[in-house]
Amino acid sequence: MSDVHASLRSPLVTGDKTISDVTRDICAPMDRKPTALWWSAFGLSLTALIVGVAAVWYQIATGIGTWGLNKTVGWAFDITNFVFWVGIGHAGTLISAVLFLFRQKWRTAVNRSAEAMTLFAVMCAGIFPLIHMGRPWLAFWMMPYPNTRGPLWVNFKSPLLWDVFAISTYLAISAVFWYVGLLPDLATIRDRSEPGWRKRITSILCLGWNGSARTWLRYETVYLLLAGLATPLVFSVHTIVSMDFATAVIPGWHTTIFPPYFVAGAIFSGLAMVLTLMIIARKVMQLEDYITMTHIDRMCKLMMSMGCIVGLAYGTEFFMAFYSGNGYEQFVFKNRALGPFAWAYWTMVSCNVLIPQLLWSRKLRSTLPVVFVIVILVNVGMWFERFVIIVTSLHRDFLPSSWASYAPTSIEIATFVGSFGLFFTCFLIFCRIAPVIAIAEIKGAAHLKKRPPAESITEEKAA
Amino acid sequence: MNDSAKKTYWKSFAQRDGCLDANEADPHQAGPAPFSRRHFLEAAGFTLSLATLSGCGRAPEVIALPFVDQPEGMIPGRSQTYASTCAGCPAACGLLVGVRDGRPLKMEGMPEHPLSRGGLCAIGQALPLGLYDSHRLAQPLASGKVTSWEDVDESITRLLGEVKQGNGAVRFVTSTVTSPTLKAQIDAFLAQYNDAKHVTFDAVSCSAILDAHEKTHAARVLPHYKLDQANVIVAFGADFLGTWISPVEFTAAWQTRRAPTKKHPKMSYHVQFEGRLSLTGGNADRRYRLSPVEYGGVLSHLATTLSMLAGEDPPAGRLSESPIAATEIDHLAEKLWDARGASLVLCDSQDVSVQVLVNFINHLLSNYNKTLDIQRPSRQRQGNDADVLNLVEELKAGKVAALFVAGTDLTHNLPDHKAIAAGISKAKLVVSFAERQDDFASLAHFVCPDHHPLESWLDAEPVAGLVSISQPTLQPLGGTRSILESLARWSGDSDSAYDILRASWRENVLPRVEPRPFQAFWDKAVHDGFVNATPIAPTVSEFQSDTVALVDAEPSGDDYTISLYSKVGLTDSRHAHNPWLQELPDPTTKITWDNYVCVSPTAAKELSLSNGDLVRVETDEGSSVELPTLVQPGQHDRVGAIALGYGVRGTDRFADIGPKWLEGRPTVAPGELVGKNVASLIETRDGELQYTVSGVTLTKSGGRRDLASTQEHHSLEIPRNVAPHGAEVRDIIQETTLEEFAQDSHAGTPHAHHHGDTQLWAEDHTKSGHSWGMVIDLNKCTGCSACLIACQSENNVPVVGKDEVRRQREMHWIRLDRYYSGAGDDVSVAHQPMMCHHCDNAPCETVCPVLATVHGDEGLNVQAYNRCVGTRYCANNCPYKVRRFNWFKYEREDALQNLVLNPDVTVRTRGVMEKCSMCVQRIEEGKIAARQRDEPVVDGNIQTACQQSCPAQAIVFGDMNDPESKVHGAFEDPRRYRLLEEFNFRPSVAYLRSVKNREAADGGEHHV
Amino acid sequence: MQQRVITVVLLIGLCFGLITLGAGVSSWRLPDNEQGYAPKQPIDYSHRLHAGELGIDCMFCHSAADKSRHAGIPSSDVCMKCHKVVTSSFDVLQDEMNKADEEKRKPKQIVSDELRKLYDTLALDETLQPQRGATAKSIPWVRVHNLPDHVHFDHRAHVAAEVTCQKCHGPVESMQRMEQYESLTMGWCVNCHQESTKTGINGKSVDAKTDCAVCHY
Repeated sequence: MSDVHASLRSPLVTGDKTISDVTRDICAPMDRKPTALWWSAFGLSLTALIVGVAAVWYQIATGIGTWGLNKTVGWAFDITNFVFWVGIGHAGTLISAVLFLFRQKWRTAVNRSAEAMTLFAVMCAGIFPLIHMGRPWLAFWMMPYPNTRGPLWVNFKSPLLWDVFAISTYLAISAVFWYVGLLPDLATIRDRSEPGWRKRITSILCLGWNGSARTWLRYETVYLLLAGLATPLVFSVHTIVSMDFATAVIPGWHTTIFPPYFVAGAIFSGLAMVLTLMIIARKVMQLEDYITMTHIDRMCKLMMSMGCIVGLAYGTEFFMAFYSGNGYEQFVFKNRALGPFAWAYWTMVSCNVLIPQLLWSRKLRSTLPVVFVIVILVNVGMWFERFVIIVTSLHRDFLPSSWASYAPTSIEIATFVGSFGLFFTCFLIFCRIAPVIAIAEIKGAAHLKKRPPAESITEEKAA
Repeated sequence: MNDSAKKTYWKSFAQRDGCLDANEADPHQAGPAPFSRRHFLEAAGFTLSLATLSGCGRAPEVIALPFVDQPEGMIPGRSQTYASTCAGCPAACGLLVGVRDGRPLKMEGMPEHPLSRGGLCAIGQALPLGLYDSHRLAQPLASGKVTSWEDVDESITRLLGEVKQGNGAVRFVTSTVTSPTLKAQIDAFLAQYNDAKHVTFDAVSCSAILDAHEKTHAARVLPHYKLDQANVIVAFGADFLGTWISPVEFTAAWQTRRAPTKKHPKMSYHVQFEGRLSLTGGNADRRYRLSPVEYGGVLSHLATTLSMLAGEDPPAGRLSESPIAATEIDHLAEKLWDARGASLVLCDSQDVSVQVLVNFINHLLSNYNKTLDIQRPSRQRQGNDADVLNLVEELKAGKVAALFVAGTDLTHNLPDHKAIAAGISKAKLVVSFAERQDDFASLAHFVCPDHHPLESWLDAEPVAGLVSISQPTLQPLGGTRSILESLARWSGDSDSAYDILRASWRENVLPRVEPRPFQAFWDKAVHDGFVNATPIAPTVSEFQSDTVALVDAEPSGDDYTISLYSKVGLTDSRHAHNPWLQELPDPTTKITWDNYVCVSPTAAKELSLSNGDLVRVETDEGSSVELPTLVQPGQHDRVGAIALGYGVRGTDRFADIGPKWLEGRPTVAPGELVGKNVASLIETRDGELQYTVSGVTLTKSGGRRDLASTQEHHSLEIPRNVAPHGAEVRDIIQETTLEEFAQDSHAGTPHAHHHGDTQLWAEDHTKSGHSWGMVIDLNKCTGCSACLIACQSENNVPVVGKDEVRRQREMHWIRLDRYYSGAGDDVSVAHQPMMCHHCDNAPCETVCPVLATVHGDEGLNVQAYNRCVGTRYCANNCPYKVRRFNWFKYEREDALQNLVLNPDVTVRTRGVMEKCSMCVQRIEEGKIAARQRDEPVVDGNIQTACQQSCPAQAIVFGDMNDPESKVHGAFEDPRRYRLLEEFNFRPSVAYLRSVKNREAADGGEHHV
Repeated sequence: MQQRVITVVLLIGLCFGLITLGAGVSSWRLPDNEQGYAPKQPIDYSHRLHAGELGIDCMFCHSAADKSRHAGIPSSDVCMKCHKVVTSSFDVLQDEMNKADEEKRKPKQIVSDELRKLYDTLALDETLQPQRGATAKSIPWVRVHNLPDHVHFDHRAHVAAEVTCQKCHGPVESMQRMEQYESLTMGWCVNCHQESTKTGINGKSVDAKTDCAVCHY
């Protein structure tokens, strides 16, 4: 297959690499001692994580009142962050599973880190519904389990319960998918490692991978099946998250467009986050030959198209409010655009709809700093999208007597920062202990040079 | 060895059961020591851990202490009700005290009481919290130090002897004493001295009305106003539904003429002239913004016009230009004239000449002895300002030898504190009966704390001929002593308050009722709480018209006039220590925990003030005070209004109220009090204390103090910049005019699309038995907020403090929504009690993941607190936003206050959602009681706390499945509507449309 | 030697530990389930004697059961209705009477140890006369049936529906020391409510609701 590589397309791996070059390059960060840059990034993330843990501890010890919520705005930062992180967690499965099914070979450079990102993002997301509860120590009541309370069960009508199932399933499948994808690379690490703790751990983790054709065959089958299984989850998770709002009666939440709108938004934000991480990683870890400008270009195109879908959704919402003739509905949307939280709304629109339009230009797409700024802005914009949906719908609903305002407290901000701390701490550790690029897959996908015989001998010796 | 092991075994077993004697547990005695203690502990620890594993600990041991001798009739766990009299203010409403296991818990209005008719205001409801207050004095004080009653009695008797010998002046100051027994006791006490006087001082006095009647009727009496007899009510400033004289009684009477039906589309016509926006003004059919200094001018014009209608000569005097258009005055005069004998003009002015004019008008309209009774006058306000001012002069001159003060804070409530304090220091004997160290008590030589009203025997005669009893409902919590007993001791008697009261009734009340044996009479009186006795009528002369003169209205210049008023729920400083009342949102401004200067939007613009900006108020006499601003629509542009009764000594205690956390701010800043005392602004003129102060300058002083309001947006109108076309105003409050209602009883129904009336879960919500529902008549509801405190008291609703209210997290289960509507500064006010609507298609129920909120099969939306995990999704999805979340654990700042908790209602922990349960504990109690008697539940037997207390009887609750029930009838009323009906939530709470007595075309700016 | 001692001690400890653990596991219950709770009471009062052998009606002492949500713990004066006279077990009193008859003297006041405790709380002396200067105190009974604060159980409704006391409290008439016989968990309550609604109580049909608000408010 690799022989009929179309020369019209730019190569997936540049730099004239041999197969062993690939292995060496990708494994290099794991073999090196951590750089000062890594240490400083890790220190920063860990500090943020500690701040977050302290905030969560304080909030659980003192009460949810330490958040800026009130009787009218019952959710704000908590669910905004939850949806934000779930959204980011989306790109992983999309890139791994959906693009895999569509045989998009360029995905091989980014899928590993995208999957890891998914895992960490879903972890971050999962924390918020847990800690936003008034009594988080009773969170297990959300699980349907046999109990001594007679007929008391859980409420299968509640979207929050669907959330519990959707998120936990997604987390489980993502974790398995990521781990299965890691197997051949773990074996590579095992083979490359000097006898020691790393070898011992990886030989357990790689489940006795021996590189035989039978192993590969089974691996490919499992991977394909998992990809097939994971694909519907890309749609189900955010559809269900959107139903937290869509099934409510609050104007601004009660809309049927939410499922596709949320899925598009999630993919959009997920791609933005993958790009953010990849741009940093390729620079810091010297992987420019593997994550090439072609990758970035394609990701940008995908992101831009998603941005357009999101923009269409924004427009549709307004049109539906106008067309419904429902005064409450119309008010909510007018209030979004012109009310006290108009700044958040316009931040959202400019970051998510207007700014991505710059990516129509090939020149800008190939200018890394510009792309980086744009993806950061998209991340910001997508956070604000959730904030706008949640807070502006709640803060002024049916009865003007109960209208209220909302402002986050230091505890909420610290918790939010802490979730980034968790995410980046996990990601930085991941970069150190596992190959950020799927070595086996990229070898299969990219058109590589034949390896010189001499080198192959040395490598076998090392193994 | 076996032995030691056995001991080890018993040790663990015993510890598991928690009944181990401390000695047995001593490891030193556990066995001989062939091996080290360390080894032994290893072995013991091992077995212990196993044993501990086997039995996770029992719940803590609970001790139940039964009586030694159970009192007769006492049933543990059952609430008993005692008839009594409310002592929250001199209005003396009828009270039913609910006592549970020896603790008075819930105050209810006495339905048989002829004045209050079953209603009770917020202050009355809050009495028990004042009772369980550890800051009340528990012992008498001498020079600020705790002492014994014997020592106090000895010293006071000795000092009184010296005063008597020196012929010194004895002055006894009280607030209005409605108790005939106490009055007689004070008189008897004072009779021992040559120069002795009882001075009645009301913190907010009506002295001018009494003085005016002395002029016009030669009797210093306060008429008993009968609003249920009045077809036309014209009030000048008098906030009779809120705080004026006897608001519960007046509300109960007023509402009788506020319920037009399809058959009888008739109601009273209520016009209010006022400078600030009072509760009463908000409920009026027609409201004029008029500076209090201009009342005289309008009344003069009215008097002149009415004289002409009556064919009499108008009173002498110059007629200044009227601030109100002549046509309006003619129109009003005609209305009044048509309703001769069934009209009423009220005024709260402290200007005697204005009040004389009011008397003249009422006389012209032949209202005396019809709507104003002076044969059976009211005794609810007896303050005599001339006496008070005299006393102040005497004090300053050092002429008072002995000063006694009860029921009021002489120094806090009067201007010129310093001079009075200096004067007090000259007296030989200064005694206070205050229940706590208030401003005066801290100056007094002796503080002899009186019992709390719920601990003592007393009586009251609020209106001549209606004598009621106040009975104790528990043993005094501290070492306080009834004022009756204290006075008896100092006169050489040792009678108990009970004996004194009985003797007084045998002597004074028994002869005024139909003859019967005293004991039987007494028992019945104590059981009923009140008796109707022959009134002792004052000698009243014919109307003396020569006293009447027109009042030259002062032109209101550019200076501001300050109107000092008392706030609903916190009428005077005596209740300032009650956190329920401090957190009660003012019915009009919705502000808690503070006083402030209300200014009109126009004035605010002129002074460039906005809510919370500090403003300095300076009188031309040089007193000044700095308070935050509140921009109040509907207020006169030249009038500022400030509430009295704030800045009370000791209220810095509330710094501790509410949750404490990183960003939490204390309710009271260090070194400050709740609000500021503005008594220093009170002026004295013509022998009266003036609560209207002219010639005031207002200046913005730069600082800010955030006000804690429970409502952010105040209008039914959507802010203009976000209002969708065609939906600028929300039809949440439905209103119509009497004229339209008479033509079509469904008038006022908005033209809305209805999505049918589908039941989403008909099979789940069978409602085969009862179906509880509630209807609130918006035409009767005045917004007085009594229901709010009734609910708080019944349902253990916590107090959260100012900072939490500021964060929009108040916990009240009933919210009294208040909306302004109308263009410009002339606003119309609407009140709407808002509690859980118990929807059939409840949005909250479907979204709770753990089934903590579900639908009961009697139509109630039930909240199981212990199942709640606190996702708050239900609150988000509640269209009425009536769910309340426990953001923190709300502990009481005073542990004694835990005694006020109703054991029938769970105290909610932090992190759970709560809301109105329609007093499900009362429903369950009523159903069980009915089952016990083997009878069906009778309509009216189950009452919710809010319904019971409502002075206006605006709330009807009952079983909608019972075709005979009142609530069923109310649901059939053509005025009935349900809020947000177009969404088909199918709420169990409905409202009756408000009908204002206006012509359809009248005052286009008044309604929307 | 020392080593052996330690080994023996440990072994014995292990045995006892395992036995208690076994006992514990056999009566395994969820946290807050207090089934079988039988605390030691200040006076060793026997329901077996009073309710079982003497056949005193439950409502004689727990007289509020049909009037209040609480059945009520009898006040000391209820005890004294009988124990003014019955100061010890009947046999002992009978013996003393016979002996006194024989010896032609007034019978001596015999007070049993447990009843002495009752008289002590009431500040009564040897001859059941009030002691000077001492005040009577309540007997600090230990509550056996403790429902959480968020559960509102009402005895009246159950007495009115003719649910027997034993249905919830177990065979009280055979208990020497009172214990919590049933688990009193929510499922247990609900089960009974559902069963009773289906089958009725004593042939009478009842509507025992299982709405949350029946117990939780």
